[in-house]
Amino acid sequence: MKKILAVAKWEYLQKLRSKAFLVSLFLMPVIIVAFGVLPTIFATTEDKDTKVIGVIDQTGVVARPLASRMESLYRLSNGQPNYLVHIIAGSSDMDFQQAIASATDQVVRNEMEGYCIIRDNIMSDSVVEYRSRNVGDFRLLTRLEGSLRNVLQERRLIQRGLDSRLLSELRVPMDLRTIKIGKSGETEEAGFATVWFTAYIFLMMLLFMVQTSGQLLVRSFIEEKSNRIVEVLVSSCSPTNLMAGKVLGLSALGLTQLGFWGLIGIAVSAQYGLHGIAPEQAALQFVYFILGYLLYAALFIAAGSPLTTEQEAQQVTSYLVLILIIPLVIALPAMQNPNAAWIKVLTFIPLLTAPMMAVRIPIQIPSATELVLTIALMLASIYAAMWVAGRVFRVAILATGKRLSIGEMLRLVRAD
Amino acid sequence: MTLRISNLRKDFSNVRAVDGVSFEVTPGEILGLLGPNGAGKTTTIRIILNILQADAGEVTYDGRPFSEEIRNTVGYLPEERGLYRKYRLLETIVYFAELRGMAAGAAVTEALRWLERFSLLEYKNSRLEELSKGNQQKVQVIISIIHDPQLIVLDEPFTGLDPVNQILLKDVLLELRRNKKAIIFSTHQMEQAEKLSDTICLINKGRVILSGSLRDVKRQHGRNTVRLEFTGDASFLHTLAGVRKALVYQNTAELDLSDGATPQQVLAQVLSRVELRRFELVEPSLQSIFLEAVGARVEETPPPPLTVAAGSEKAP
Repeated sequence: MKKILAVAKWEYLQKLRSKAFLVSLFLMPVIIVAFGVLPTIFATTEDKDTKVIGVIDQTGVVARPLASRMESLYRLSNGQPNYLVHIIAGSSDMDFQQAIASATDQVVRNEMEGYCIIRDNIMSDSVVEYRSRNVGDFRLLTRLEGSLRNVLQERRLIQRGLDSRLLSELRVPMDLRTIKIGKSGETEEAGFATVWFTAYIFLMMLLFMVQTSGQLLVRSFIEEKSNRIVEVLVSSCSPTNLMAGKVLGLSALGLTQLGFWGLIGIAVSAQYGLHGIAPEQAALQFVYFILGYLLYAALFIAAGSPLTTEQEAQQVTSYLVLILIIPLVIALPAMQNPNAAWIKVLTFIPLLTAPMMAVRIPIQIPSATELVLTIALMLASIYAAMWVAGRVFRVAILATGKRLSIGEMLRLVRAD
Repeated sequence: MTLRISNLRKDFSNVRAVDGVSFEVTPGEILGLLGPNGAGKTTTIRIILNILQADAGEVTYDGRPFSEEIRNTVGYLPEERGLYRKYRLLETIVYFAELRGMAAGAAVTEALRWLERFSLLEYKNSRLEELSKGNQQKVQVIISIIHDPQLIVLDEPFTGLDPVNQILLKDVLLELRRNKKAIIFSTHQMEQAEKLSDTICLINKGRVILSGSLRDVKRQHGRNTVRLEFTGDASFLHTLAGVRKALVYQNTAELDLSDGATPQQVLAQVLSRVELRRFELVEPSLQSIFLEAVGARVEETPPPPLTVAAGSEKAP
């Protein structure tokens, strides 16, 4: 036990000071912010200048109400209108073609953001064309679409004889708020973004932890093997103790990482007055984290100890980490329907349990039966994986030169 | 500690690396494990240290089989040198000492003492990669002896050390012998083996072909051996009448005379052809014994029993 602790202490302290670890420690929060928060911030950033939108209106009745709506409703932060609608005459066919040509010209010369074409049959088919160099301005498109719909609806209602003053009285502004109902019925305000972001953060943390510590572990194997330090190690303490010490040290490293990120998370959410996640959620996440981490550690030992070069190590670690990407991909459908059978099935695959739970727990805490079963399954898998890893490790760590084939490794595992 | 190995055998996929090797080392004894490259020295050493398991045979430590406690009483310098390149000297030494069961505090004290002894104290906080090869090797020697082991196994400890450090290491080993440690060292350098060993064990192709106390081995081979020092071209010595075998170097030569030939006959022939500075009757060098034993082994099949009373009495 003393030797296990000596190995654990050494692995922990040396890796704590390694560049790879420090980089991941600080890089991870930066990346989370970069990928998770920045796009939202950019997407919600207000325009700085008024944008000019052209309208070519064959009907002659849509352009004006559209213009007044767009110009009055949306304002820049300095009080100026966000959009200026430039009505381009184009009633006759001849004029129409000319109008399009000149509007296009203005767009090309950056004098105009884009322009809409409203044709004669708009009232029947409701098709409007918007032409612009940038068709990805999500906010502008939403606003334009909303305004057009509004104007057209109004037109139709007025055609049916409704009073326009009555109309404005009847119009209902809509603001949909989502309230998440917890297990025992308590409610909290949680939008799609919050849930998605929480799940995403947990997944990324798991990914980063496994990636960093897996790489550190495999790299240390390779150094110890190529330098034959391992001979001294294995003559000083048994391979089993050596492996146990490494796993222990590495887990301590993972916990340090997790603790550090946790503190950052708490600090950030306190700063912005965000909801922290509920304690029971945090506790569950923590349990699955540790279990997932240990399982991957065993895999890294089994897959990493036979390796002899850095390149091989890179490949193996990336393949293993790739497994963790799967839940990232299916996170969205999982959120739409957390109770789908296939989601549950995936959760019961030990390699995916931890990342799947990272996604599922923020959405809806799975049933107690499911929790107990997955945890039991994880414990069993960890035990089995460590057992196999120990066998491979004992022999592979000493082998140099020729890499062991899969067949040879299987034989090692079976042989006593 | 008395280490006894008997009839050790180890096979790798299609090679028998160690084939019936036996020897014994007692406290206060230095055993030189000799043999050409690939003879099975390192495999034998790894089995002694429980890094590899023998396919057959037995290793006992003070009469008992290997146990976890044994790990704390053996020291090992592997042949292929290497340490954690990025880590600091003192920390590394202390880590390995702790792995051998030392308490951290005692490990630091001892590490500093040995660093001073090996003139490495100024580097105690340097990274290992900043040290020269020779200095790294000295660090490894420290790691192999810091925990006061009773059995010390050094695989090629002298290669890579400059003459000053070779003398330093030799002094340390002799001191350890005085303190009743059992020491095994393997080497290709016969001069070192000759200076240090009490007993030798010469292995070739996995088999012991010569073993016993250095004195016995030499006496056994001490036929007519003549050592010369001269100036001039001495290549004729190889074909000289009455010379069974000649080792000719730039200015010196060692001649093994045929049965019946006398040193006088040889002297007479040599005098006329080179400028002789020295001519003496000597015990054969370990080098020539080594070459003869290994050479004979290579040429003849089946090999003749060259073993000098395996397990013979050690020098008193």
